Amino acid sequence: MSRRAGILAVLSASLLIIILEWSTGTRPDPYLAPDPMALGSKSGASGAICAFVPRKNNE
Amino acid sequence: MIFRVAIIVTLLVALAISTGIRFSFLLGIGVLIGYSLEKFHFGFAGPWRRLIVNRDGQGVIAQLLAIGLTAVAIQPIIAYAPGSFIGAIAPISITMIFAACMFGFSMQIILSCGSGTLVNAGSGNLTAIIALPLFCVGSFLGTWLLPFAIELTPHGVVSLTEILGVEWSVLATVISLFCLGVLVSRRSIGSVWNKKLFFAAIILATLAVLHVLVAGQPWGVVYGLGLWVAKAAQGLGWTPETAEFWTHPINASALRSSILTDITSLTSLGLIGGAAMAAWNDAEQKSLVEHSKIWIYFVVAVASLLLGVSSRLAFGCNVGALFSGIASGSLHGWVWLIAGFSGSLIGVRAKDFLWKKSSRERA
Repeated sequence: MSRRAGILAVLSASLLIIILEWSTGTRPDPYLAPDPMALGSKSGASGAICAFVPRKNNE
Repeated sequence: MIFRVAIIVTLLVALAISTGIRFSFLLGIGVLIGYSLEKFHFGFAGPWRRLIVNRDGQGVIAQLLAIGLTAVAIQPIIAYAPGSFIGAIAPISITMIFAACMFGFSMQIILSCGSGTLVNAGSGNLTAIIALPLFCVGSFLGTWLLPFAIELTPHGVVSLTEILGVEWSVLATVISLFCLGVLVSRRSIGSVWNKKLFFAAIILATLAVLHVLVAGQPWGVVYGLGLWVAKAAQGLGWTPETAEFWTHPINASALRSSILTDITSLTSLGLIGGAAMAAWNDAEQKSLVEHSKIWIYFVVAVASLLLGVSSRLAFGCNVGALFSGIASGSLHGWVWLIAGFSGSLIGVRAKDFLWKKSSRERA
């Protein structure tokens, strides 16, 4: 069996995650979408980042 | 190739219409990063191994170049537009150092780092395919441990741009990277210049800067992986209110929203797609199964869990902490580099021991 099977399996799993989430979770509203780029926009970073530090009292 | 590009373009247009143009841009950036990393064989775990084992510093020099170019561009961008832009600035602590060391160890065992696991899984590598879901689970488990780690040990944030000012911080970052480059070239046997890797470094730096301009924050991997498992756990009945990490407004909002609007999720999915696109032609000639011994895959599974947990406790992996941390002017990125490399020194030896044992058993 070649690695193509692996590629197809990973892509299928990724697609499945998206479909499951789309069908069961909150769907995004394109009319509430931020500007295309953070540069020059008031809608900047989300803060959901690897360097995120949880602090007490939700600082 | 045209067919694969057409599929990606269709997905990007569909995402732009259904969620917004910014999210489509982010997926596109992820695809380009994944494609470049796979096509040019640009990585982190592999070059560290080659430096340690073969005294070949070409890949590490390319990493330093990519980080330096990104730093020169993003530190001023982030500093001059506070509010809209944030850097990958994270604290330093004993647990953070230990976790980065553990990450360096684990990434050498599976020879895949944060970005590498996504790219290798996307290119059909079975080890990475097994590692990826466990990396995600580990990252989620890490979100449970992180508040305890913060409570147990003092965590101090050191932002070079705040302490030194932007100009001096950029200069300090570039000079430090240059000095490190000199050390690497002294350790290396042969030339450290590799045209292909240098070209890849420039592409990666360009895409990393573009990521900041679009997202308002630097490129990361681990956050999205933990979020996927948190969402799955929520679907199975888990209540996020039981975990301190997920009660924070930013994380609670990410849990409520679609992963198609989460920055790190989109770039990570893009990395998988881009790597798949780049690897598709050659993948037919390569075998899916690499090891005949099942226990090797068990070792991979444990190392992948550790990879996830440690990357959360270290405030990022080689991308979010090392690459983006140093480029943002965060001292924790440098500490991560030293701790991660120390872990890799042990990890390289442990991997060689385990893999040799596996081949002896096969013989």
